[in-house]
Amino acid sequence: MIDDRIVFLLLFLAPVVSSIPIALAYKSKGWTEKLPYLSVFGIFISVLMSLYIFFVFPENQQYAYDWIPDLGINIVLITDYLSRYMGVITAVIAFFIAIYGLEYMRGDYRPSWYWFFFNLFTASMLLVVYSDNLFLLFVGWEGLGAASWGLIGHWFRDDDEIAYVGVPKRKVGPLELSWPPSFGGWRAISTIRFGDVPMFFAIAAIWVFAVDKTGKSTLNISQIEWGTLFTTIGAAGTVILLTLFLMGLLTKSAQVPFSEWLMTAMTGPTTVSALLHSATMVAAGAFVFIKVSWYIRPWELHHVPGLEIVYTFALFIGLISGLYGALAASGMLERKVLLAASTMSSLGLMFAAAAASFWIQPEPKVAAGMNVALLVAFWYMAVHAFAKASLFLVSGHLIHATHSRFLCGGIEFAKRMKTPFIVTIIATAFLVGIPPLTAYWVKSMMDEVKLHLFHHAMETGAIHLAIPIILLILTSLVYSAILAKFLSLNFIKGEKPEHEHLEGGGLMKLGYVLMASVLFVLTYHIFVLEETEGFVHAGGEILSIGVGGAIFIVYIAAIFKPRITALSKLGTFFNDRMYLPFVNDYILPKTGFFVSHLVQDYGNRGIDGFFNTKVMPGLFDRISKGIRTIQTGYLKTYIQIVLGLVMISLILASIGGMWI
Amino acid sequence: MIMLYFLLLPLIVVFIAPLLRPKGATYLSSAAFLIPFFSILYCIFKGCPAEIHLMNFAPPIGEIYLNFDFISNAFGLTICIVSAMVALFALPYMEHRFEEMELKVESEFRRYIFLYDFYAVSMLWLVYSGNLILLYVFLEITLITAFLLIYSYGYGNRKWVGLLYLIWCAIAGVLTLAGFIIIAFEPLNNTLALSGITTVGKLAWAFILVGMLIELPVLGPHIWLPWAHAEAPTPVSALLSPLTVGLAGYVLLRTALIDYSFIEDYRMYILGYAIFSSIYAGFSVFKQTDFKRLLAYSTVSQMGYVLVALCLGPFGLIGVVIQYMSHAFGKSILFSSAGGIIAVHHGLRDLNKMGGLHDSIPAISNAAVVGFLNLGGILTVGMLGEFFILRGVVDTFLRPESPSFLGWTGSLPIILAVIFMFILSVWYGFWTIRKVFYGKPKDTKRLEISRYFYVPLFIIGIFSVLLLFPPLSTMLIQGLNAIPGLGGVVP
Repeated sequence: MIDDRIVFLLLFLAPVVSSIPIALAYKSKGWTEKLPYLSVFGIFISVLMSLYIFFVFPENQQYAYDWIPDLGINIVLITDYLSRYMGVITAVIAFFIAIYGLEYMRGDYRPSWYWFFFNLFTASMLLVVYSDNLFLLFVGWEGLGAASWGLIGHWFRDDDEIAYVGVPKRKVGPLELSWPPSFGGWRAISTIRFGDVPMFFAIAAIWVFAVDKTGKSTLNISQIEWGTLFTTIGAAGTVILLTLFLMGLLTKSAQVPFSEWLMTAMTGPTTVSALLHSATMVAAGAFVFIKVSWYIRPWELHHVPGLEIVYTFALFIGLISGLYGALAASGMLERKVLLAASTMSSLGLMFAAAAASFWIQPEPKVAAGMNVALLVAFWYMAVHAFAKASLFLVSGHLIHATHSRFLCGGIEFAKRMKTPFIVTIIATAFLVGIPPLTAYWVKSMMDEVKLHLFHHAMETGAIHLAIPIILLILTSLVYSAILAKFLSLNFIKGEKPEHEHLEGGGLMKLGYVLMASVLFVLTYHIFVLEETEGFVHAGGEILSIGVGGAIFIVYIAAIFKPRITALSKLGTFFNDRMYLPFVNDYILPKTGFFVSHLVQDYGNRGIDGFFNTKVMPGLFDRISKGIRTIQTGYLKTYIQIVLGLVMISLILASIGGMWI
Repeated sequence: MIMLYFLLLPLIVVFIAPLLRPKGATYLSSAAFLIPFFSILYCIFKGCPAEIHLMNFAPPIGEIYLNFDFISNAFGLTICIVSAMVALFALPYMEHRFEEMELKVESEFRRYIFLYDFYAVSMLWLVYSGNLILLYVFLEITLITAFLLIYSYGYGNRKWVGLLYLIWCAIAGVLTLAGFIIIAFEPLNNTLALSGITTVGKLAWAFILVGMLIELPVLGPHIWLPWAHAEAPTPVSALLSPLTVGLAGYVLLRTALIDYSFIEDYRMYILGYAIFSSIYAGFSVFKQTDFKRLLAYSTVSQMGYVLVALCLGPFGLIGVVIQYMSHAFGKSILFSSAGGIIAVHHGLRDLNKMGGLHDSIPAISNAAVVGFLNLGGILTVGMLGEFFILRGVVDTFLRPESPSFLGWTGSLPIILAVIFMFILSVWYGFWTIRKVFYGKPKDTKRLEISRYFYVPLFIIGIFSVLLLFPPLSTMLIQGLNAIPGLGGVVP
C-alpha cells in the first residue's frame, strides 16, 4: 500500500503543480500549445489517486496531519461513503472535460490562465470533498470561488458576442439584459462572497462551541457532537448559526435568490460551464449540505429546538429553486443558459431531498442503515453530474460548429452530427427520469421520500409538508419538457444554422462519449449495490410508475412541439428569469452607488474641506493675519493693547475678589 | 546577540548605499533587508533569545532593549520582505521619475536611496524596540523621512501634501508621546521599558488611542491619507500604506497587551466606530477616479479591520497581527502595480481612462489579482486573519462567561456588520480589477516591461500564500498563540 501522505499529496497537488509550467510559459506560443497535455496529465494522476483511495483505502478512515494543532486547525481527511464516491466522480469528470478542452481551447488567447485555473478548480473541489476539518474545507471552498472567477471571466476582452449572455442591446425598462464575460466573473465572486463570509463566521462559531465525544474542542465534521452543540447554543443560536452556514451553500449552489450569477456565468468557456455545473462549484454547495446533514443526523435531533425551522427552510428554498429554475429554462433559447437554469433546478431538488432527511428515519435493514433521503440526494447528484456535463460538452461542440449560442439545428444537421445527437438523447433521457433509465430509479426514491413527508403531514397536521410532493412532480414534468426542448431545437425541429463547421471534433467527441457512457455504469451500480436496493423497489411503486409515465409523455410531446407560440409572452417573462435581474442589476448597485455617492461627495469632501482645504486652514490664515496686523509699529496700537490687557486683568481681579 | 547584528546591517547600509550607483545601491538595500528576513524566519522556526539588552537609563526611562517575541517577529518579517521587494521595484520606477522631473538620475538616486533605507529601517527597529521612548524616536524618523520623500519626489501638489502629512502625523506623534510620558510618571511603572510597565492609566490610554487613531487612520482624521498615499512617489506609497500606518495598530496592540481594561470599558464605542469607519471607507472606494487614491481608501477600510480586531479579545489580537501582515502584502503589491501602470502607460492613473489593460501588461494585472486576494482574505494568510477576527466576535459576544455577552439575537447586528465589512473588500477589489484590467482593450499589443515591475510582487504574493499553509503558519500562529494575552489554548 502506498503511504497515505503521498496519495493525498499527489491527489491535491498534482493538478496544481502540473499547471504551473504553462502559467509561467505564458509568453511562448510554442510552449502553451504543448504544455496543456502536462496539465491534463496532472488531473489524470488525481483520477488514479481517487481510484486508489476508492479501492484500497479502508472506508470511514480518518487521516489527520498537523497544521496548527494547538488551535484544532488540522489537515484532516476522511474516506467516508460520500467522499469516496464524490472524489472519483469529481476527478473523472474533470479529466474527461480536460481531454475535451485540449481541442476546445486550442488557439485560445490565454491558455496559461485557463489551464492554471481549471486545475486549481479541480484540486479545490477535491479538497472540499475529502476534507473533514471545516477550516480545511473552507480553504478548498475559497479556491473554488477564486478559480470560478478566473474561469468565468476568462474571455476578459468582452469583444466576442459568442461569449455574452442575453441578447445584445435588448432593454427592459432601464436595464440592458446582456452581460459580458468580465461582468460574469465579477458577479460570480461577489455573490459567492456574500455567502462565504457568513459561512466562515458559522465555522468560527462552531470552532468555539463544538466538542467531540470526549469533550475536546474540534472542527472535524465527523467528530463534532452536533446535538450537544445545538443544545449549548440554544434555539436562536441554532437557527442563526445554521442559516449563516447555509448562506455559503445556497449562494454556491445558486439557489433563489442568489441564482443570477449562475446564469451570467455562462459567459465562460463551455468546458468551464461543464465542470462548474457537474462536479464542482454548484455541486459543492449541495455536497456539503448532504455531508454535514450526514453527520448532524437531524432525524435524531427532533428534541433540539430550532433545527426543524432550518431544515424546513432548506426544503422549501430547494423546492422553490427547483421549480423556478425549470420554469425559467422553459422560456430560454440560449443553449448554455437553458442548461444553467436546469442545473439550478436539479440542485434545488438535491437540497430538498437532503433536507427531507429531517423527517425520515433510517431503518437498519434498508440502504445499509443510511438515511435514504441523503442517499437519494447524493445519487441524484452523481447521475446529474455525468448527464449535465455531457450536455454541456455537446453544447460547446454545437457552438463551435454553428457559431451560435442560441438553440438551432434541424434533422439535417443531426444527420451530419450523429455522435452529439445520440449523446444528447442518452443524456436527456437518462436524466429526466424516463423508466427504466438511470435517473428514473433515483427520482422514484425521491418521490417516495416526499410521499413520506406527505403522510407525515396527514398524520401530524403539519400541513406544509404536504406541498413538497406536488412541487417535486411539477418540477419533474417541466424539467422533462425543457431537456426535450433542448434536444428538439438542437437536432430535430430547430432552425437551420447559419454556419456549419463540422470538421474535427475528435477529442471533443471522445470527451462527451466517455462522459455519457458512465451513465450506464451508474445504472449498473444502482442495481447491484446494497444501499441502492431501495431505489429499485421504489421504481416499482405505483406513484413512481405514474410520474415516470407522465414524464415520458411530456418528453415526447416537447420533442414534437418544442415551442408554443401562444405562450410567447409567458416565455419571455420566464426567459428574463422573472425579472430577478432587476434586484441584482438595478436595485442593489443603485443603492450601493447611492451610498458611495453620499459618503464620497458629502462625507469625504466635507471632512476634507473642514480639515485640509477650507475651514481649518482658513482659520489659521485669519489668526495669523490678525496677529500680524498687531505688529504695525504704531505706538497707538501698543498702547491700546497694554490698556486692554490692564482692563482685562482688573476685571478678572475684581471678579476673583468678589468670588473669594 | 547575532540578531542584533542582522538588524544593524540595514542600518549600516543606509550610509553605504548612497555611495554606490543606482543598481548596486538597490541590490545592496534589498539584500540588507532580505538577510534579516531569513534570520527572522530562522528565529521563528528555531527560537531566539527573547530580548537583547542595549543600555540602561535612569528612571523614568529605564532599560532600553530589543524585544524578539513573535509579535515583533511577525511585524519584522513583513517589513523586511516588503521593503526588500519594493526596493527592487523602485529601481526602474524612480529612475523614470527622476527623468520625468528633469533631475540628474545618479546624484538624485543617492539622496533617494538614503531616505528610503532610513525610512524602512526605522520601521524595522520600531517593531523591535523594547522601550517606548525608543519606539517614539523611530516613529518620528519614519515620519520625517517619509515627509522628505513625498516633499521631494511626490506628484501633483507635492509640497502641500507633504506638509499636510507632516502636520497630521506630528499631531498623532505628540499625542502618543504625551501618553507615553504619562505612563512613565505613573508611580507603579516609573519606566518606559515594555517589560517593566504594569499599568496604563485611562488618560494615557486616551492619548495614545487618539494619537494612533489619527495615524491608523479612522474615519475623520482619515482624510490626510488619500492625499499622502496618492501623491507620494509610488515606492513610498508602497511602504507608507502597507507598513507605516499599520504600525499604529502595533503600538495599540502593545498597549493593549499591557493593559486591556480600557478596551473592555469602551469596547462597544470603539468597535462601533471601527466597523463604521471600515464600511464607510469601503463605500468610498467605489467613487474614486484615481487608482492610487482608490487604494488609499481601501487602506482606511483595512485599518478598520485592525481596530475591530483590537476590540475582540485574545483571538482578535492575533487577528491584529495577521491582518497587518496580509494587508501589507496585498497593499504593497497593489501600490506597486499601480506604479507599474504609471511607469508603463505614461502616468496613467485615471480609472475612467483605464479598462482592458490586462492585454498590455498581463503580469502586472495578475499581480494585482493576488493583491486583492490578500485584502479579501482568499487563499492567502488573510484567511487566517479573518478567521481569528470572526472567532474574536464569537468569543467576545457569544460566550456566556464573557463580560460583553450579548446572546445570539443581541449580537446579531454586530455579527452582520462585521460580515458585511469583510464582504465589501472583495466587492470593491474585484470591481476594481474589472474596471482597470478587463473589458474591451484599447490596445491588444503586449508591452515589454522591466522584470523589476512584477517579479518582486509575485515573490510577496507567493510568500503570502505560503504563510497560510504549514510549516510557516504552524510555527507562526503557534508562536503567537503562546504569548500571554494572545489567543489561548483550545481545550
